[in-house]
Amino acid sequence: MRASRARRTFFSVVGVLAATFFAFPVYWMVSSALKPTNQLQSTDYDLVPTSITTQHFATALGKPGFLAALQMSLIVTLTAVLFSLLAGLLAAVPLARLRFRGRKGFLLLVLVAQMAPLEALLIPMYLMMRDANLLDTLPGLVLVYFAATLPFTLWTLRGFVHGIPVDLEEAAMVDGCGRWGAFRRVTLPLLGPGLVATSVFGFITAWNEFVFALVLFSDESKRTLPVWLSTFQSAFGTDWGGTMAASTLFTLPVVVFFLIVQRNMVAGVTAGAVKG
Amino acid sequence: MTTTVDTTVPAGSPPAPPRATDRGRRRRAPFGERLLPYLLLAPAIATLLSLVGWPALLVVLTSFRQLGLGELVSGQLIWVGSANYAEVLSDPQFWTITLRTVVFTAACVAATLVGGLLVALLMRQLDRTVRIILQVAMLLAWAMSIVSATTVFQWMFDQRFGILNKTLVLLGFDSFREHNWFATGTSTLAVIGLLICWQAIPFVAFALYAGLLGIPRDLYEAAGIDGASAWQTFRSVTWPTLRPIVLMMTFLQLLWDFKVFTQVWAFRQGGPNGESTTLPVLQYLKGIASGHFGVAAAVSVLMVLVLSVVTAQYLRMLVRAQEVEL
Repeated sequence: MRASRARRTFFSVVGVLAATFFAFPVYWMVSSALKPTNQLQSTDYDLVPTSITTQHFATALGKPGFLAALQMSLIVTLTAVLFSLLAGLLAAVPLARLRFRGRKGFLLLVLVAQMAPLEALLIPMYLMMRDANLLDTLPGLVLVYFAATLPFTLWTLRGFVHGIPVDLEEAAMVDGCGRWGAFRRVTLPLLGPGLVATSVFGFITAWNEFVFALVLFSDESKRTLPVWLSTFQSAFGTDWGGTMAASTLFTLPVVVFFLIVQRNMVAGVTAGAVKG
Repeated sequence: MTTTVDTTVPAGSPPAPPRATDRGRRRRAPFGERLLPYLLLAPAIATLLSLVGWPALLVVLTSFRQLGLGELVSGQLIWVGSANYAEVLSDPQFWTITLRTVVFTAACVAATLVGGLLVALLMRQLDRTVRIILQVAMLLAWAMSIVSATTVFQWMFDQRFGILNKTLVLLGFDSFREHNWFATGTSTLAVIGLLICWQAIPFVAFALYAGLLGIPRDLYEAAGIDGASAWQTFRSVTWPTLRPIVLMMTFLQLLWDFKVFTQVWAFRQGGPNGESTTLPVLQYLKGIASGHFGVAAAVSVLMVLVLSVVTAQYLRMLVRAQEVEL
């Protein structure tokens, strides 16, 4: 009894230490964003801010380029996610519901595309976009993110469609719905959560993407948020407070979305791999 | 790739079979109906072929061309055979970088898996409250945007005001006062590796913990009755369940860590003096930064070759384990 209590205490201590390890950088980002500059640029040891300021957030928002980068990130990310949701849903339904020649081959294509290391296609993508005059334009980046998120979106949506019993649609068709009507009135509403989860995954991928945004835009005035943030040293000097505030703002939507879909996350990330 | 066009369909619309005659026989679906799946698939197929398939072909073609900024502007096609590969492979720097990338990848993957396994085993021993605290902490680390995480780590490892150096000095390690963590390539890569593991361990830990939850309690009780030691129980009860998950995670982490660009680039752009340059950074430096697209494409192809060996194994494992239903 005594031994087991000691054991439990030991594990609890280790558990709390592990939790500290994982949470500390996040805490440090937020707390640094809230500390006045004189406390950041100081050799004093202070884990907890003694006074709080929102000045850094104002600085970050007011820095040239932040709002433009935010706008660009939002446009590119949302457009790409919308495209892959549309194309993905269109393809997911026949893949889950119909039998036709070439179905397996196509699924294999999707799987290979999902696993394809897009980073290794940096050079040809750059050349293609250059030839198509899409460098330094939003459509170029949208296309890349569309391609990057489509295989995963399609594969996951197929799993979700698969999970909805076909009987429901058939029942609706018996009751006089057409095929389209049955899909719209029965399957689509049931797909709601799946569509949300899938688009959140797509959003996180595109929102965080860095290397293509770096390569396809040479124009300094046009950057997505990750690229803008990574060049903070020129934008902020050693203004760590401002940098942390900007980092917090950038990561906030991802954390929020992440918490929404966290249940699906492990399964989702191994996808291509998941049964859905 | 298997053909996606049904070649058995004649060009013209065949007359629809009269409905009254299909007694018990399978009705041949009308042409429009049979065409429907291909129409629905068309946007996805077009996208994947033009934006993944074509670049994949183009990278191979480019790797056999002399393509610098001059040729890019003039549009001249100069085939040079394997010259780009010869150039890359004969460069001792390439081999240094390859070795560095392999060691870096191996170290990250090993650390992530060991860390993830330990955390997963730990989670099972924890009270509900502590476990939830740990899980929330891990979710936060996992969810954090990579670029944000990179900036925070730079700030924590900052030479003058970084919390790490301050803490080490406070603990009595005075040599760390104003210690520069980014003075050498090894040290820089160690910090980058720590960042990568910090974000990857939660994913591995959650996946393995889910596997652990699937093991029936009876098995542990039986092992206890048989007088098995903790290690024996782990080996004969826990490990057989975890093994396939560990294998899958190993493949995924290998694929991810080998091609990591963002973190390496955002820390020091492959510096100091190129000492933290890995293959993806080399590809960028050769191609985008200095305009030797042919050479860079050769580096890409070599990277893809390594990755496809791992990917093929991974896909084979998935299909065999029936994780994937085609």
